[in-house]
Amino acid sequence: MTIFGNVITGYQLAFVAIAGITLLAAVMVVLLPNILKAALCLALALFGIAGLYVLMNAPFLAAVQVMVYVGGIATMIVLAIFLTHRFMKVKLFDAIYNPLLGAGVAAITFLFLFLTVINSVWVKQAVANGPAEQGSQISNIADSLLQTYVFPFELITIVLIAVLIGAVVLAKEDTGNNNES
Amino acid sequence: MSHNAYGIPISWFLTVGAMLFCIGLFGMMVRRNAISMLMSIELMLNAANINLIAFGSYLIKPVMAGQAFAIFVIALAASEAAIGLAIIIRVYQLERHIDADKMTVLKL
Repeated sequence: MTIFGNVITGYQLAFVAIAGITLLAAVMVVLLPNILKAALCLALALFGIAGLYVLMNAPFLAAVQVMVYVGGIATMIVLAIFLTHRFMKVKLFDAIYNPLLGAGVAAITFLFLFLTVINSVWVKQAVANGPAEQGSQISNIADSLLQTYVFPFELITIVLIAVLIGAVVLAKEDTGNNNES
Repeated sequence: MSHNAYGIPISWFLTVGAMLFCIGLFGMMVRRNAISMLMSIELMLNAANINLIAFGSYLIKPVMAGQAFAIFVIALAASEAAIGLAIIIRVYQLERHIDADKMTVLKL
């Protein structure tokens, strides 16, 4: 397909569609006053990012993204909203404070990042001849996790067990002196 | 311009990552509800992940540095969300609000 003299492939069209949905959902996350709707938009944005991972030839990461983020973190955030807002009495309202300041800082940051992106020359290091075979890619990830990066991998396991214990200890209600909660 | 295996320029992914990061930054600055701020942090972490995987897809194939580090980022983001939400629920139990500006429970 040709648009304005440039040849547009189907993958590029898919990228534009997925990126558009993702960015729109992300904007909704930060702008919607109802934070439950914002959390659902966050789930949509995370799903769109999984689609971007597929277009970056990383299908395993896309599956991990859907399982961990959409299935885990988004669900956890919705659960936390349920626990911290009494629905019938309190509106799920979160106003926007200092929108001009926030937009200004975000716009300046984006300007710098965008200028860096478009002014840099990205040299392709390897010849990527078509999408890699999925099975070999996953075994390559496993190899790099268990050989090159085995130390951070083991460190992550310790962090995860500490987080599990810490989250349970933190969220547990005190049965001691302050029972009013 | 450099294209990846699907013929998409890397600058497109980096631009989307930059946009997501700035949207998360905006949300981080304008929200006061702790859960909203946590959601903005998730957006920023995902923007970092997009950059990692975009650069990783340009390395020589057996090296999976980008995707391996993206897995670490995802694991740490899950940890951060779990701890953050536990703290938020605890603050709500103690103070009946989750407004980040009014969280003074450490000063008790």
